[in-house]
Amino acid sequence: MAFTVPSLGHGVGLRTKHFPHLWEGTAHVDWFEAISENFMIRGGRPLAALEKAREVAPLVLHGVSLSLGSTDPLNTAYLDDLQTLIRRFEPTWVSDHLCWGSVGGHYAHDLLPLPYTEEALAHVAERVQTIQDRLGRQILIENVSSYLTFSHSQMPEWEFLAEIAERADCGILLDVNNIYVSAANHRFNPEDYINGVPTDRVGQIHLAGHSNMGTYLFDTHDGPVIAPVWELYRLAVRRCGRVSTLIEWDDKIPEFAVLCAEAERARTIEMEELERAYAKSA
Amino acid sequence: MPSLRELQSSFFNSIAHVPGGGSANFDPGLVHLVEGRGQLGPQERINIYAQMYYVRLLEVLHEDFPQVATILGCERFDEVVRVYLACHPSTHPSLRYLGRHFAAFLDTRPEVASLPFLSDLARLEWMREEVFDAPDAEPLRLEHLQGLSADEWPDLRFQFIPAFQVLQSDWPVHEIWAAVEEGTLDRGCARLEKTALRVWRDGFAVYHAKMDAIEPVALAGVQAGKPFAAICAALEFIVPSEEAASAMGSLLLRWIADGVLVRLPRK
Repeated sequence: MAFTVPSLGHGVGLRTKHFPHLWEGTAHVDWFEAISENFMIRGGRPLAALEKAREVAPLVLHGVSLSLGSTDPLNTAYLDDLQTLIRRFEPTWVSDHLCWGSVGGHYAHDLLPLPYTEEALAHVAERVQTIQDRLGRQILIENVSSYLTFSHSQMPEWEFLAEIAERADCGILLDVNNIYVSAANHRFNPEDYINGVPTDRVGQIHLAGHSNMGTYLFDTHDGPVIAPVWELYRLAVRRCGRVSTLIEWDDKIPEFAVLCAEAERARTIEMEELERAYAKSA
Repeated sequence: MPSLRELQSSFFNSIAHVPGGGSANFDPGLVHLVEGRGQLGPQERINIYAQMYYVRLLEVLHEDFPQVATILGCERFDEVVRVYLACHPSTHPSLRYLGRHFAAFLDTRPEVASLPFLSDLARLEWMREEVFDAPDAEPLRLEHLQGLSADEWPDLRFQFIPAFQVLQSDWPVHEIWAAVEEGTLDRGCARLEKTALRVWRDGFAVYHAKMDAIEPVALAGVQAGKPFAAICAALEFIVPSEEAASAMGSLLLRWIADGVLVRLPRK
């Protein structure tokens, strides 16, 4: 069993504020990530923008409502909508989150934490396999920021993530900012997390900003990546090598040029780390 | 230990049963399971999720119903939304559909009974949302009609684009909408007046406009699939017969200019 996706370089999340750049021909970026649910519609400007984005650069689809860890039956209508999007836009890959967001047919529209138990492990791995079979492709699952942990968890999150990826034969979207946020909120060493992830399954990296709320860190995606997260990114590059990296910025969204500058910074850091590794090996 | 199913039910009920209601509503069994390391205890940690749930959904409804929110003001809108979310938790994976019951919900709420036009204003706002991302269609333009012979006109059957809807109201909701936009809403706007609006998308922009006396009749004819001649004949009941064809012609020009008709099938 293996997982391989191409390295697309350093991309940005496709957001409504930046749609005009697509028509103006000024959306110069390695690749785009689009939120799947925002485009599960029938027509109008968002879909036209996604068509444009697809013409400009490679595209991946990133979902927030697959509810991988939910104990509800899989929402087949949602999967059909996702498949329709996949067939139309041919994303390089598809991803969603290692969490749950719905129960009893009700959606929280949030990325809610799972207990890291054998029961949850078996349940999520089976659902990921079922989803992959239905979509006819492997998916990537992303670690989320969390604000609570459960006392009956039987393993650290990175072991849980690694084991699901292995059992379901799927990829990992490693969100370095989320690791930093959760590490601060639950007092673990974020480097242990990055060192504990199977590097051959990491197909994408997320970077983002967050907010310090005084007593906890909050994953707000509303600012630049902070220095300690860039340092963790260096570690991730040292371990995983060249991996498609994306800047997420969802609130207080800056000008497109600012977003692209963050992506360029990631490119520079990746280059520095890869050159350093090459020099060492030589 | 609870099963994963029991844990998720307990978690969701704790954060969503009373949206934004605070820790008094948290299931003690869930609180017992949450670790309380560092500066935050279990209840404070669950409360982060409870607040996120309420604030995120409140923001979505505020974006979907900005005019209703303006009229009610922050505090009243927040309170109405709390009750709405408790009655209508989201049942769709996309937030796009969260507000689909909001207008009908407002009809039932005693706290907004003094604003009897409010639910129709919400209907207009929701209709504009629906039209925004309705399916695309190539609109009929004037040049598409230029090759038609006079003999072909009586049998022409037009069709509205999918991004076209009609709103019937007892209130001049378009005037209320404009007044809220301009910050000039006063009691004069809120008068009973049978109003028919059409709501449509041209390109990527969404519009709405009040229909005149003949437009609903012609529109009903088009929607029923009647040919052009039959629609003109129907108009003879409301305008002098010698004016029916020119009235229909004027209306057709307006519809074409607004891009609300689908291009006729090519021969």
